[in-house]
Amino acid sequence: MGFFNFLVYLAIMMGIYGILSLSLNLQYGFTGLANFGQVAFFCLGAYTTTIITLTFGMPFVLGLLGSMAIAGLFGYIISIPTADLREDYWAIVTLAAAEIVRMFFLNEDWVVGGGAYRGGAFGVGGIPQPLKSYFSPQAYPLFYLGIVLLCLFITYLIINKLTDSPFGRVLKSIREGEDRLAQAMGKDVKKFRIKAMAVGGMFGGLAGCLWAHYYGFISPNQFLPLETFIVWAMVIVGGKGNNKGAVLGAVIIIIFYHSTRFLKDYVPIDEVTLASLRMVAIGVLIVIVMLFMKEGLIKEKKRIY
Amino acid sequence: MTIAQVIINSIIRASELALLSLGLTIVYDILKFANFAHTEFAVIGVYLAFFLNVALGIPIVPAAIIASIATGFFSILIDKAVFKRMRNSTGIIIMVTSMGVAIALRNTVRAIWGADARNYAIPLQRPIVTPWFRITSLQIWIIIIGVLAMVVFYLLLHYTKLGKAMRASSDNPELAQASGIATEKIITYVWFIAISFASLGGILIGMETYILPYMGFAIIIPVFCATIMGGIGNPYGAMLGALVLGFAENFGLYIDFGKVINLGGILPFSRELFIPTGYKPAISFVMLIIVLLIRPRGILGKKKEG
Repeated sequence: MGFFNFLVYLAIMMGIYGILSLSLNLQYGFTGLANFGQVAFFCLGAYTTTIITLTFGMPFVLGLLGSMAIAGLFGYIISIPTADLREDYWAIVTLAAAEIVRMFFLNEDWVVGGGAYRGGAFGVGGIPQPLKSYFSPQAYPLFYLGIVLLCLFITYLIINKLTDSPFGRVLKSIREGEDRLAQAMGKDVKKFRIKAMAVGGMFGGLAGCLWAHYYGFISPNQFLPLETFIVWAMVIVGGKGNNKGAVLGAVIIIIFYHSTRFLKDYVPIDEVTLASLRMVAIGVLIVIVMLFMKEGLIKEKKRIY
Repeated sequence: MTIAQVIINSIIRASELALLSLGLTIVYDILKFANFAHTEFAVIGVYLAFFLNVALGIPIVPAAIIASIATGFFSILIDKAVFKRMRNSTGIIIMVTSMGVAIALRNTVRAIWGADARNYAIPLQRPIVTPWFRITSLQIWIIIIGVLAMVVFYLLLHYTKLGKAMRASSDNPELAQASGIATEKIITYVWFIAISFASLGGILIGMETYILPYMGFAIIIPVFCATIMGGIGNPYGAMLGALVLGFAENFGLYIDFGKVINLGGILPFSRELFIPTGYKPAISFVMLIIVLLIRPRGILGKKKEG
């Protein structure tokens, strides 16, 4: 892989994870919901678009909209019964829900059309890439990068608009544990939590859709809980409750994550050990940021009204 | 499989789960945060025992004891380095930090010992076969150790100064401190007890099956489920939760839900309907969600918290 292509690849990853990070930031950073199952949205988005575009042969745009709809719906449904729970229960329930989603795609191969090498633990290949035939193989990643960045930009605008609005202020009051304040102002706290999960879920699904069409291959073991915590590292490092921070966090973690892969050219170290050490560093990074710079790199703008 | 076998399997599973969930619940009780690194500490113990047992050739029993004690001390070290600095933070902040600790611990184990499954150097278990069930001597030991640990814990909580101090710190930390109970000291003991029990539980699971760096994560949801089911912060709840979950996991796969739907042959529904084995882990997830919906405080949950 040439260096330029590698940069394009990095940028695409930054864009996809930037969307995920913005989505988690809406839930955790702004609303204080400890969503430990973010990867469920990612997974649902990826599988939904695969079913729509590959199994049913429909266009990419429908896949994209379908992914957002299904992932958003999932966020909505799982938060209806759980929206009143305490944060630690919330964390474990979302973690469990994400594992159920993964287990579903691991066990049910018929959802993507079935067959010995299609679906289940084998994964699904041959996911079509939008407008592939109009571009040369060299130019296509650049075009795809354009799609990803456009999606990131739109996501950023929408989430920023939401968090700057009165809606966002209610979310923040919920985060600060001021449920009663929100209630006194006539806001149904539960409904706002559900909305934050549904909207966040939609964008998580969008990221999953972009991921599936970029790789062209998905399988359940790409959606391990580990993915969730990589996104958590992004939000925490970048600065929770701040949309610029969320994107910055994604950029930093992606650079860190992928630059360490070149380490094996210089240090005699095997792939498994290197991958493990990389995750050790991410874990330590989360701890250090939580201990010494709770606000992350970009602090949340706390406005005084 | 006979019903006696299913019951035996349930009790074995419950004993292992109880050892792990007990620690999770007492750490929650005293420190007020859900420790997502709990089972990863247990994995540290599992691999320490592996190192002592396989690399140094120490028999498994002393190896397990040494490893569990060492892991207990290790958790105190992590507490001093990380969690102690966060005593005044809210639960969610400490919880997220514990997740960071968990990721770091799990991958440290993987970096040192690799990702493959391994076994302790113990002889192959020959089961004792009866007409109703089969059980290995190791499995009998697992049940005995599980029950013993519960008894020891009961005695500790009710008949020692430490136990009284622990209960006092849990009920009202300020009052406990004002009465001259050194909360920090109690916290140190709690970590040690919680993590050595967990480590023992992990080692027993590893002896019965195999050991993997990922096993801590594989069991975290069942352990949380058992803990929450009984009422988080309540040690007896954790034991009860482990028992309920142990039975639910094993009977969940054994019961023909087709017969449940047709009420034992009354309704015209004649298909067999079993939960596929691939979904076994999902049983605890679903149980957890159901329990939280019906009774968020757990079966034996305390009333005071809102």
